[in-house]
Amino acid sequence: MPRIDAHLHVFTKASAEFPREISDVWPAEREEPVEKLLGEMEKHQIDQAVLVQMAGASIENHRYLLRCLKEYPNRFLGIGLVPEGHPNPVEHMAALTDDTGIIGFRFSTFGGPRDIFAKMDVREFAAYPIWECAAERDYVLWLYPNAINAHLLPYLIQEFPQVRIVLNHLAVCPGAGKFSWDEFGRPQVQVTGYNLFMHTTYRLARFENVNVHLSGQYAFSKEEFPYKDLAGWHHGLLGGFGAKRLMWATDFPWILEEPGYGKLTTVIEELLPNLSEAELADIMGGNAKRILRFPDL
Amino acid sequence: MILPTSEQKTQWEEEGYLVFENAIQGEDLKRLQNAFDYWADACKEEWLDRVEAGDAVATFYDIPNPLEKDPIFIDIIDYPSYYGALMAFTDHDLILLGPQVRTVAPWPVSYTGWHPDVGQSNPLHIKVQIYVNDVEPGGGEFGFVPGSHKPGAGPYTRPMRQESMTGHKTFPGKAGTAIMFNSCGWHVSMDNHSDTPRKSIILIYEKRTPGRIGPEQFASISEYCQTPERRKLFSLDG
Repeated sequence: MPRIDAHLHVFTKASAEFPREISDVWPAEREEPVEKLLGEMEKHQIDQAVLVQMAGASIENHRYLLRCLKEYPNRFLGIGLVPEGHPNPVEHMAALTDDTGIIGFRFSTFGGPRDIFAKMDVREFAAYPIWECAAERDYVLWLYPNAINAHLLPYLIQEFPQVRIVLNHLAVCPGAGKFSWDEFGRPQVQVTGYNLFMHTTYRLARFENVNVHLSGQYAFSKEEFPYKDLAGWHHGLLGGFGAKRLMWATDFPWILEEPGYGKLTTVIEELLPNLSEAELADIMGGNAKRILRFPDL
Repeated sequence: MILPTSEQKTQWEEEGYLVFENAIQGEDLKRLQNAFDYWADACKEEWLDRVEAGDAVATFYDIPNPLEKDPIFIDIIDYPSYYGALMAFTDHDLILLGPQVRTVAPWPVSYTGWHPDVGQSNPLHIKVQIYVNDVEPGGGEFGFVPGSHKPGAGPYTRPMRQESMTGHKTFPGKAGTAIMFNSCGWHVSMDNHSDTPRKSIILIYEKRTPGRIGPEQFASISEYCQTPERRKLFSLDG
């Protein structure tokens, strides 16, 4: 069974050939190229990976991702972005998925009522055309919902049960103003001690098309690797979703310095030590291969 | 004090729950409903802001510090229709841990799965859930597995769907109904497929153990706790 890193990012220096947004964390001259990733994968026996677009959502911003997918079609699948408020998201998604290796798109908002007590008409959600298109074209939806959007999800999932859903990073829904970067250049998301998500995203286990990443531990944990304070979260997700709907991922490159790629290849064994060999193999790649339809090597 | 009948005692021991229909009624029920609605409305925007900030659960909310907001929330802690049973089952050594004055939104999935609150090693832990509005079947009613509170019962596992739980019973009811249950037992809020939020109050009690609740916990309402019984119930004397 292949070992698949189900969520990470690569980017190159900003250039006319590969335009991208810049920030303090990814300035124009910084690069975390696919060759560096392949080196880590080789060293730690990881066979395939999902490359997730970052640093810009325009078609042009996707050029480096598209080049990587074209160059290594058997190693990688891609997840794209759609600009917030794009006037024609369906056209944008179509332009990026014409046999390119991009299999889906990442979102954090759904454009429905902020108040869970409001009347819910899913057809009125701003994201409805995107989900409708995903259902028609078999896109995967890669979701990292803002906290105020989490309650909208089951309405969309009920409406489109055929759409494959992957909830990112332990199904956490970050709160507004709770995001920062630490001294190792890693995203940090401040979460409450009480696990709020067991009352929202964990409850989506009811829907068979919903899957979850076991990743991003470094961003939520108050401890160093292996992030034992999150063992309960992992057990909760395993109990709810089962071993067939969980996918391991590293979130490369943020983890390169601390704790390092190699250590993260063992994080599932550390946090879920009672998994059978078969369950572990599923989480480490078998599920990603089946659900995301990775090509045979 | 209305002590439980022998039938009620037997049911409590064997099944782990009791239902008190019309436990609160008439003017007291109106007072409770008015206070609940007023404060739930007053607290809602702040709750939504906390949801947005990732500091509160998105699928239900509790009125913060309800005992300080209206005396009716204190009066239901030792309400005669079920207080005698609480006292009898705890050998007249009862303390309040806290109230949850809770509004649960209709949602395609219940906000929680089947679970017990405590293990068998915990001192007797009892909850009383009071419906503030009518709760119809499919309206987020309480569910319980009779007998699941007993040592050696089960094992139980959480099913994907609430209605798939082996041996469970559901408890729709009219406003003013109180359901008392042993928190070792497996229980849940059933899915609410209606368009009506479920308004209920969950009172949490325990058989007293030294130091479990400090005198500061409920000090802010001490003016309403003048009798020795109330001071003991609210742990005001340590």
